[in-house]
Amino acid sequence: MKEINVKHLARVEGDGGITVEIDGDQVKKVNVDIFEGPRLIEALAEGKNPMEAASFTPRICAICTVSHKNASIRASERAVKFEEPKKTYYTRELMHMGEMVESHSLHVFALALPDFLDGGYPNVIAMVPKYGDIVKQALALKKFGNRMMQVLNGKFIHGENATPGGFGRFPSKEELIEFKNTALNFIEFMCTATDIFAGIPMPAHLERDTEYWACNMKDYDGKERFGFWGDELICTDGTIIPSEDYNKHLIERVVPHSMAKRSLYKERPFSVGALARLLTIGERLTGKALEYYKKYVKPEWKKNIIFNNHAQAVEIIFCLERIPELVDILLAMPEDPAMTKPTRTEGRGVGAVEAPRGLLIHDYTYANGLIAKANIITPTAFNLDDCEAFIRKSAETLNKEGKEVDFMRFEFEKIARAYDPCISCATHLVKVFKK
Amino acid sequence: MGDKPRIGVYGFTGCAGCQLAIIDCEDQLADIFAAADIKVFYEASSSNDYDAEVDVALVEGSINTDKQLEELNYIRRKAKILIAFGSCAHHGCVQGMALGDGNWEERWRKVYGDIKMEVAQPMEAQPLHKFVKVDGWIPGCAPNTTQMLRAITSLLNGHLPTYTNSPVCLECKFKENDCLLTKGQLCLGPLTMGGCGAACPSHNTPCIGCWGVIEEANHQAELKKLIKEGFTEEEIIRRFRLFAGSDYVDKVKKLLEEV
Repeated sequence: MKEINVKHLARVEGDGGITVEIDGDQVKKVNVDIFEGPRLIEALAEGKNPMEAASFTPRICAICTVSHKNASIRASERAVKFEEPKKTYYTRELMHMGEMVESHSLHVFALALPDFLDGGYPNVIAMVPKYGDIVKQALALKKFGNRMMQVLNGKFIHGENATPGGFGRFPSKEELIEFKNTALNFIEFMCTATDIFAGIPMPAHLERDTEYWACNMKDYDGKERFGFWGDELICTDGTIIPSEDYNKHLIERVVPHSMAKRSLYKERPFSVGALARLLTIGERLTGKALEYYKKYVKPEWKKNIIFNNHAQAVEIIFCLERIPELVDILLAMPEDPAMTKPTRTEGRGVGAVEAPRGLLIHDYTYANGLIAKANIITPTAFNLDDCEAFIRKSAETLNKEGKEVDFMRFEFEKIARAYDPCISCATHLVKVFKK
Repeated sequence: MGDKPRIGVYGFTGCAGCQLAIIDCEDQLADIFAAADIKVFYEASSSNDYDAEVDVALVEGSINTDKQLEELNYIRRKAKILIAFGSCAHHGCVQGMALGDGNWEERWRKVYGDIKMEVAQPMEAQPLHKFVKVDGWIPGCAPNTTQMLRAITSLLNGHLPTYTNSPVCLECKFKENDCLLTKGQLCLGPLTMGGCGAACPSHNTPCIGCWGVIEEANHQAELKKLIKEGFTEEEIIRRFRLFAGSDYVDKVKKLLEEV
């Protein structure tokens, strides 16, 4: 057996690995191994009150901290029935935009783009001599996302300002206007950058049919629109389910090669993420984002997860246009609502939100005001099976074409990175065995 | 390259936020990469030399598989200075909240069932100092930019990073915030290591103790105040458990008996 061993899958958030074994013309094994340290967060959530759950569950992941915060808040507020005032709702959405901008700009420019430019760069800093302007703007955009999270959640990483019941402090008029103006200033750059990314040829060796799931976003008044949470989930096959029924449709399982759980829909793997959002509810976009959606989204995107990178770029445009809208909504509501309180002590609530890398679920059942049972499914856990399936397809195609192992390994890494995986706590390991 | 300090950034069990805190130094990122010879930094780069000797190892996360322990020992052997980078590495943070209570296996079964793991053998999460010698500490969950830059600058110049030896409460006073304790909130500011600039109390939300406990504090006075405000011992211990590490929880239990 020919064995090629690339020790670490880099430029992903957290640590994960891939093992591929090829025997002649057969791809024997494709495993995305997660050595993730089992933190048992769900078991530790038991016995906590809503505020404590919202404080510590976001520690699952630094880069999705706001998504975990919003998912935890939504789960608790649904379970023990907090009221969600309109201003609180839109301030939470604005905070979510901060994380999307920060995380997507980090991934698109610093983690993914180095794979595709000029045959590959090791990191974003190495791109500076040739692409200094793009790198500078991209880091400024990322900084803007951080600035929003710092103001709205209290810190870049793991803030406490957002809590079940509302916000400790709402943003000031000056801060809101700053967000609006900064967002408007970045739209042109982001459109240009999206054009550049879209102009680079993308590999097609992984193309296969699959389905995608995302939150069916509805506005405060119940009107459908594009966005990042929902009490319903929507699939590219047209199925819509209540979020609280996720566990009847998206079946979780445990496999011995991964500390992260896996999920199947109709016994088949599926994907979540920016591409899933564009493919399910993308036609609801408006403005420049809609223009770019129409310009670039093609039927082959559904067969190729590499386009998740491009979908993230389109979503940044959406966020930059949505931020000024949200600012105007919030400026029209100068009164800060008081913190709301739980109105019962028992019940189940599911908080379904879209983390930058896809559907995230917090599912809490309360008894006596404290969590009695918790289930949390992260986007990377939803994605692992489909990620393996795309890598398997790629391995089959490339093996048939007689490609070198080094080439194949880099292509597999691109696929894994396209998911923007967030496998906090694991060891990176890419192994390709070829007989 | 020759004279630049060789740095390795490694991550174990945690949220990867301490490594992200370095990447979050957007304005200084290029300077950091220029001033140091960064040998290992998987989260930021695909050009890594895992086997390289380093002057400074920044190690994020706590240890909870046999594989991680092997790697930690390997990094210790390769590094002149090993820094516990953030709360998980220093005192265990959230995954260490129930350390040593004897129920870890039950929790494991609750989440994973009866499956036998092939990738690595899991164990209860513990901070680095339980296994290897730790030379210094960068506190925080996660460390903020100012603190990150100060620590990195110190390390690049051959010094160990220093940390704030006063509680969050003092920084909160400097900001002239209304005291949340006097408003009946369970704020851990008086007992928690400062350096965050009283980030949470400055937003009218109580300090949750995420940077770990500061030794130099009037622990008893805080506990008395909380009891007086009507919080139960169970609630107080639960709140400390979230971030403070199990060693400290034992101390709080003893102090509560005295109070």
